[in-house]
Amino acid sequence: MKFTLPPTLEAPPLPQSFVRDFMLLTKNQLRVTWNKWRHRPKKTWIVMGSLYAGLLIFITYLGSLAYGAIGNVPYELGQGLLSLLFMSGLIAQIFFGITAAFSSLYMSEDLELLFTAPVSVRAVFAVKSLSVFVSNSVIAVIFMLLPGVFYGLLFQTGGFFYLLVVLVTLSFLILGTALAELFNLLIMRIVPPHRSKEAIGLIGAVAGIMMALMFQIPNLMMGREKQFDFNSWLGGNTQIFEVMNFFPWGWGSKALASAMSDNALGGLAWSLLILLLGVLLFSLAFSLVERGFRRGFISLSQGEGGQRRRTKRKEKGLTSGQILLKDYSDQGRKSSPLEQIFATQPGGDMTGAQAPALVGIWSVAKKDLLYLKRDAREWFGYLTPLILMAFFIAQYLFSGSKASRSSLITIFIMYTIMFSGNMALQSFGREGESDWLLNSVPLAGWPVVLGKLLASVLPTLVLMEALLVGTGAAIGLDYSVVVALAVGAVLLSLGSSAIGLFYSINNSRYNPESPQQRIAPSASLMMYLINLVFILFLALGITYIFHPAELIAVLEQLPPATYEGGFLSALTYGLYLISRPLLWPAWAGVLIGILVTGGVWSGMFFGFMAATVRQSRKGFRVEIVTGKKKRG
Amino acid sequence: MEEVLIKTHQLTKRYGTVPVVNTLNLEVKSGEIFGFLGPNGAGKTTTIKMLTGLMEPSEGEAYICGYDIRKQATQAKALMAYVPDQPKLYGKLSAREFLLLMASLYRMPKDVSAKRAEMLMEMFGLSERADELLEGYSHGMRQKVVLASALIHQPKVMLLDEPTVGLDPASARLLKDVLQALAKQGASIFLSTHILEIAERMCHRVGILKAGKLIAQGSPEELRQTVGHDGESLEDIFLDLTGDQESDELIRSLEGDS
Repeated sequence: MKFTLPPTLEAPPLPQSFVRDFMLLTKNQLRVTWNKWRHRPKKTWIVMGSLYAGLLIFITYLGSLAYGAIGNVPYELGQGLLSLLFMSGLIAQIFFGITAAFSSLYMSEDLELLFTAPVSVRAVFAVKSLSVFVSNSVIAVIFMLLPGVFYGLLFQTGGFFYLLVVLVTLSFLILGTALAELFNLLIMRIVPPHRSKEAIGLIGAVAGIMMALMFQIPNLMMGREKQFDFNSWLGGNTQIFEVMNFFPWGWGSKALASAMSDNALGGLAWSLLILLLGVLLFSLAFSLVERGFRRGFISLSQGEGGQRRRTKRKEKGLTSGQILLKDYSDQGRKSSPLEQIFATQPGGDMTGAQAPALVGIWSVAKKDLLYLKRDAREWFGYLTPLILMAFFIAQYLFSGSKASRSSLITIFIMYTIMFSGNMALQSFGREGESDWLLNSVPLAGWPVVLGKLLASVLPTLVLMEALLVGTGAAIGLDYSVVVALAVGAVLLSLGSSAIGLFYSINNSRYNPESPQQRIAPSASLMMYLINLVFILFLALGITYIFHPAELIAVLEQLPPATYEGGFLSALTYGLYLISRPLLWPAWAGVLIGILVTGGVWSGMFFGFMAATVRQSRKGFRVEIVTGKKKRG
Repeated sequence: MEEVLIKTHQLTKRYGTVPVVNTLNLEVKSGEIFGFLGPNGAGKTTTIKMLTGLMEPSEGEAYICGYDIRKQATQAKALMAYVPDQPKLYGKLSAREFLLLMASLYRMPKDVSAKRAEMLMEMFGLSERADELLEGYSHGMRQKVVLASALIHQPKVMLLDEPTVGLDPASARLLKDVLQALAKQGASIFLSTHILEIAERMCHRVGILKAGKLIAQGSPEELRQTVGHDGESLEDIFLDLTGDQESDELIRSLEGDS
């Protein structure tokens, strides 16, 4: 092909200003965003519209709660509430901002391209910071703008107040984003690069849990409406709110309170103070760009700090032009590794020396256990139930009576089942892009499935047994009950894991951008439903064994049911038949109870395991899901 | 006099105490196509990343057109182009938009960049799909877009990491012609490749890297003389120098057995 290329550059073009580079990169970012929105399918628009409608309803609900809660509060006390909300908002901005900053500052796919282009690192940093700013703005709206507006509406203030609300929100947004980026730069300096993704993921998970718990606070307050007087609570904590005035969240609430008391200048001064602090912190972040951002990206992309070992060679290093010639002549010949491998005919001597199947099972389990150990993101799955359990235990300890013991234990048992199933659901998706491996080795069937079961059940059991036994002992349960719970947990965990494995092998997914998304949502839902049925039938068997006197007394009062056709009648008659063994003699009830419990457990466990084994023999495939495409 | 456009001096990269690139000294002159060869893990990509400023050397310096890549990064980057082994692009931009963005990043005037973009898209057969989003392009098509974007600002130095991966034979041939034309214009081309045939036919000089050390450099003819086997292919020389002749002999013996 004939073509002419223009002459190459002789000297670099004149350097451009930061503003020009920033504008250029921002324009590009906007174009990318615009194209992204333009090419979204209609379905996505509908889902997003529904989500936003849901969010609007939620915000309206929160607003009405706020009105109800602070209806009779004088604005000076409302100032304390605003301080609390601003503090929560700032903390949320920092936590979520750290993950957003990590994702945009270090994980963007265009960084390599931008770093090889002649644009300043500061301009790249500024543009990437914009996306953190945008993602933090949602939190700022919820925690700063809306409470401020509600506060103004409640006390019917003038227009200038709302301008100050916007200024305070903007200042907090700048402050929160700057703090998040500074913390992010700090984390990148202190956490080894090969662990940074996990550290940031952990922060994100903690942030999510914190937010979930934070949104539970109004519910808890409303639940204790009779005991809780919001006015007196605010009035009784004035000293704490005074201390808050030394911090930016206190300045924010002071700004709004000043504006409310017609001190516009004072309000403006407090708002500008937050803005000034935010700008100062941003300047500090900019001064650390070279050390933090660029080096952070470099060390992250090269995986610095990981364990790199190289065995020392006995051969001396070669110098330029020197030729490596090993002596493989027949005299004193030592066979090379390649020759040793090919010395045996394929399928020859190896056939007589097959290792037992247990070795294969353990190797599959060990691989998964190592994965769990080495990727801290895997621990998040365990972190969530632990925190929620701590929440339930704390609730029991503070307000618990003897009657709530049984509900606590029921929660634990339910959680053991659901948690085991959930962890098993992740099993086959963990193979990710390496799904070919377990399909190609001669382990398909029982060895693979048992290995997966072992890896999924072991850590779950250790955790849940410790929680069950520990809590049982702490709340003073009988020794025999604690042992029964411990044995029961093993069986429940195995049964639930078998169900989880079945859905995992048939519906596993892998998203390289979010490795924790390992299952199709519909399969996850199905697994939970089947687990509920499993619990229901197990509970029936256990009820036969324990013969609860209260239930028997109720059953004795009920008239006999007959089948008269139709679904409702069939259901009533079915329930009637199921309840009959409870009226049998105790020994017969225990016998049928053991048979039902054992049968349900065996049926579920072996049935789902056999189905999983059958699928493993046919081969399984992990669906690769990315932001845009699927590998079917 | 031929100008040295790429120069490294004692360039070293260590992970912990393990050197990945070890005291690398090399020079690539104006008008020269330099092939960078080596087995997997020899340090080729690390070297290229240090030359582009994407990685910090542990020791030593790298110069592009006389500019220190660490101290005068903007000037050095303005004169060079980098073609990575994995074409990571903005999936939500079209080829045309991407080329114009690259032209802007390299501070080209708008009217010139629009003309150059059209010409390059025509040359690489991208014109028909110029307005489609890049996320719909195949690997080979994306590689072509990267190559076109690398040429848009008339670079004096071009660094290519395995550029032929994913290219069809016609595109690989086009790449070869483009690189040769660029070299004739006085540019320096530094390319790493595993395909020794390409290196032999395209490169004026080759360097062979093994375990981070440059064990040989020169024209294919000079290397033949170094090894002392006239008429041998670059593949034989490479296997001799990198110590893989053992597997080579074994493969030959296995072929003989069958």
